[in-house]
Amino acid sequence: MIKPTNKNSDIMKKKLLIIIAIGILPVISLAQISSNSCDDAETASPIIGNTVYTVDGFDGTAVSTSCSTTGIGTHGEWYKYTPTSDMYIYITSELSQNFNVAGGNNSHDTFVHIFTGTCSNLSCIAGDDDSGYQDTSRTGFSVVANETYYIAWDNIWDSASFDFKIVEIDTDLMITFTNSTINAPGLDRGVVDMNGDHLDDIVSIHSTNITINEQQPNGTFSSTMYSTDGIYSASWSMAAADYDRNGYTDLVYGNSSGAHVLKANSDGTAYSVAATSHSVFTQRTNFVDFDNNGDLDIFLCDDVAPNEYFINDGTDLTLWEGDDPNAPIAEGLGLYPSGGNYGSIWIDYDNDGDADLFIAKCGGEPARRQNELFKNNGGLSFSDVSVNTGMDKVLSTWSSAWADFDNDGDMDCFVGSSVSSEPHVFMTNRLEVPLDGNGNPIDGGPLFEDTTSTALPEGFYSFGHENVPYDFNNDGYVDIFSNGNMLINKGDGTFVVYSYNTTNPDYEPREGAVGDLNNDGFLDIFDSGRIKYNDLNNDNNDRNWLKIALNGTSSNINGIGARIVVSSPSFNSNATNKSQIRDVRSAEGFAYMSSLNAHFGLGTDTSADSVTIYWPSGTVDVIVNPTINQTLVVTEGETLGLPSTASDDMILFPNPTKRFLNINMNVIGSERAIYTVFDITGRRVLNNRLLSNTIDVSMLSSGNYILRIINNGKINTQKFIKQ
Amino acid sequence: MFHKHTYLLKVLIPLVALMASCSDDDRYIGVVPEQISPVIFNIDSLPYTNLSTYNFFEGNMSNLDPVYGVLPYDLNSSLFSDYALKKRFIWMPKDSSATYINDFTSFDFPIGTILIKNFFYNDVLPNMVTKLIETRLMIKREDDWTFANYEWNDTQTEAVYTSDNKFVNFDWVYKGEPKNVNYKIPGISECFTCHNKYGTPLPIGPKPQNINRNYSYEDGSKNQLAKWVEQGYLKDNFPTFINSLVSWSDETQPLDLRIRSYFDINCAHCHSDESYCEYAPMRFAFNETEDLSNLGVCVESIFYINPDISYVVKPQDIDNSALYYRLNSNQDQYKMPLIGRTLKHEEGVKLIEEWINSLNTDCD
Repeated sequence: MIKPTNKNSDIMKKKLLIIIAIGILPVISLAQISSNSCDDAETASPIIGNTVYTVDGFDGTAVSTSCSTTGIGTHGEWYKYTPTSDMYIYITSELSQNFNVAGGNNSHDTFVHIFTGTCSNLSCIAGDDDSGYQDTSRTGFSVVANETYYIAWDNIWDSASFDFKIVEIDTDLMITFTNSTINAPGLDRGVVDMNGDHLDDIVSIHSTNITINEQQPNGTFSSTMYSTDGIYSASWSMAAADYDRNGYTDLVYGNSSGAHVLKANSDGTAYSVAATSHSVFTQRTNFVDFDNNGDLDIFLCDDVAPNEYFINDGTDLTLWEGDDPNAPIAEGLGLYPSGGNYGSIWIDYDNDGDADLFIAKCGGEPARRQNELFKNNGGLSFSDVSVNTGMDKVLSTWSSAWADFDNDGDMDCFVGSSVSSEPHVFMTNRLEVPLDGNGNPIDGGPLFEDTTSTALPEGFYSFGHENVPYDFNNDGYVDIFSNGNMLINKGDGTFVVYSYNTTNPDYEPREGAVGDLNNDGFLDIFDSGRIKYNDLNNDNNDRNWLKIALNGTSSNINGIGARIVVSSPSFNSNATNKSQIRDVRSAEGFAYMSSLNAHFGLGTDTSADSVTIYWPSGTVDVIVNPTINQTLVVTEGETLGLPSTASDDMILFPNPTKRFLNINMNVIGSERAIYTVFDITGRRVLNNRLLSNTIDVSMLSSGNYILRIINNGKINTQKFIKQ
Repeated sequence: MFHKHTYLLKVLIPLVALMASCSDDDRYIGVVPEQISPVIFNIDSLPYTNLSTYNFFEGNMSNLDPVYGVLPYDLNSSLFSDYALKKRFIWMPKDSSATYINDFTSFDFPIGTILIKNFFYNDVLPNMVTKLIETRLMIKREDDWTFANYEWNDTQTEAVYTSDNKFVNFDWVYKGEPKNVNYKIPGISECFTCHNKYGTPLPIGPKPQNINRNYSYEDGSKNQLAKWVEQGYLKDNFPTFINSLVSWSDETQPLDLRIRSYFDINCAHCHSDESYCEYAPMRFAFNETEDLSNLGVCVESIFYINPDISYVVKPQDIDNSALYYRLNSNQDQYKMPLIGRTLKHEEGVKLIEEWINSLNTDCD
């Protein structure tokens, strides 16, 4: 379904959709004094949003009507608030200064009523007692421009002073969903294309059958159940990819007692167990090509022992226990003896063109739950870079959301805590600063900086297993869906937290698989028999989008491990916001399999300048001026790739060489400079970031090679001989 | 009501050694030989490949008839393992004994202690026989405990060392009805998952609170702590009063003691400080559960199960109680205990339902 790119008059009358950059008011505590009654508040100045106020004890008039079943205290403190536009707000005392300090007794059990109307005729619109962390209050509702709201704090539990704030969420940022039930028997694990038409299907499984609800072009679903021959269900996780390249997507199930690989037959009419591990207590599972031979391998997190993996040689899957001394990955990829491995995710954190591994860990002694980051060196070699990158936090985490949240061209990370006793952590990638030859910042600090308090200014006190990054409102800024909350990216380095009512009767999204279930370019969520359709669509807003489905030839067929870069007028190398990036992954979060299509929101840009695909094989494809608001299917090698400069520009010496190649170009410090060495068959044999003018090629066997450097979207190539 | 257990005064095992004199005197005094345990304990060769090598039992090994020094014991409340029956034994090298630390911590066992736990079923179909499945050992070595598991053969003549997990499927008659089990013998990583605190392996069952009870020995019924002292296995320096578990199935005991005993032995090894799931707020150890919030009562459930469940335990509302859901579930990712069972413990679930319905705390 292709939608016209030019839409003006049809749009519902709303304000201009400028991506929100309304300067965030500095959070200062104003001396706005509360009023002792509604009438006093009426004549006092109204309070404003995004500002901290202190309720300095209670001596005012109590409310006459309670806005909650809790009741009414002896006193109330009153405020007036008049929004200047329609929006959604939270009135919240869930602020860290109100929490109970260990050993202290100053937690604040607050209670609030909110009214509309006039002081002589108030009617309740909202009220809250303990929705916030540690019995603080937090309640959200829609407000109308220029209407007056009366806020009355109530001392029924506590008369001590405390702080509160009104958090305003512009309507343009809002992300909401509408439920639609669907029959999906078994564990609802996947939203992913199963039959090669790039439409996301719904996958639910029992240990002995799979039900696929196949999305049809008209938006309906056609359901088929397939019997299977395994013993394990995907109780802990499921991942999907077409590992045998036959056009039909295969699955891997993670279970406490083992793991199964379920292979689709040649026409997708049957599924059977192709490989099994009986020795793993599986948590997150992933399809990823470790050895970059074009055949997808499978990684299995183990909760109680070192991780395991299957290596795919194109014909067979061979299982390895990570601590087996004969295993092909010498470093093992997570060898802690008693495990603690929960949320593995494969991302290119250092922009060198290959997939690195981050493992969110949990449980037991500090060393066991210390998160781990492994840099992929190519050739089945990995280095544990957890400490130097600063990603070695000791937390209780089950998954992490990786994306370029600040749009500066590198992958940042939100590590979501699963318990209130450990904080969430937001880590900003500093890949753009000057780096030494080992990829570490010259300033001596870690590569990732903890920016949690700036990213989440109101704090975030909801915890759980699932954290996934997607642009749900298509504004070009990646949001984070975290355990029944949307951390909405405001595009200014901060997120605002919008919380869903996940229980009866609303059943708003709590967790689930993410994909486009009505092919309208706005991402939906599936969980527990309900499709949560994104309320945004092509008719009710100005935002545009692009989905990209990859069809690998030398690389694995799904393009897993590929880096996709989309440039558009507001998001390009010359703008404040850099081109948008995605890494194709299987899978995100902890338990679910989300779409293999890469999804980009373009905001109000009405065109895209280019789409660049950096395939794992080393191939680069560039699509110039693609049609937007559609799914772009790219087959590896189909384009002419990046513009290539004359090879005279780059001189290599010594050539032939036995060990080092020196390059006569000044490329140090360039964020995207990558060197790749291809052998004469075109196979990629070396690949890494270019951090100096010298490359070590001593590990290559003797022969003829081509060195290619990609730098700022341009290619230089030169032949060399290794002696 | 709670019984205060006393114990007998320790009884010294007389050791009489007289020297025979080579005199013209024809009298001699016979030496009463000290009884020596015939268990074969070669610490450097452990664990043996075959259970028989240890020589724990005399006669047919499957009779589990212990040799001298292999002392049987039982617990006040024991872990649910798919209805498997258990016979437990303890052995220590000569002249070594354990020490009491406190009521709720396993004894400080000497190097060479072996804890032996045999899992079996009676009335196994089709022939209504007894079937031994596995024998788990914990052996105290220089620094740490070692786990060793032995899988019994079908002819019940030997059990062989195994470190992998394995399923054994069979039917047996339970309370008059046939029941099927796909019994899982745990692999070595799973032993450690429960039997550890912050990476240090440790026993779970033999704590004073769970050993403090009578056992019918061959020479009569006696308190186990007293017997261990008598055997020389326990130093006699523990208090007269030990805050002890009760048998959770003993309906003459108060409900709260029964449920706290049940939770202690089924849950506390993971849900306690420094254990596998220490990051969740529940603390199920018997000595911590006078405080209802440690049992999860009115505690928000943050691990998502379904939209209807908001609490770990909601008084009088089992449908809104994650704890009930999990004990009542066989789903791999929801069931509790997380490992160690594949069947539901019907009687345990009933006890929990009774307890949740007896609570009258108001969560709001």
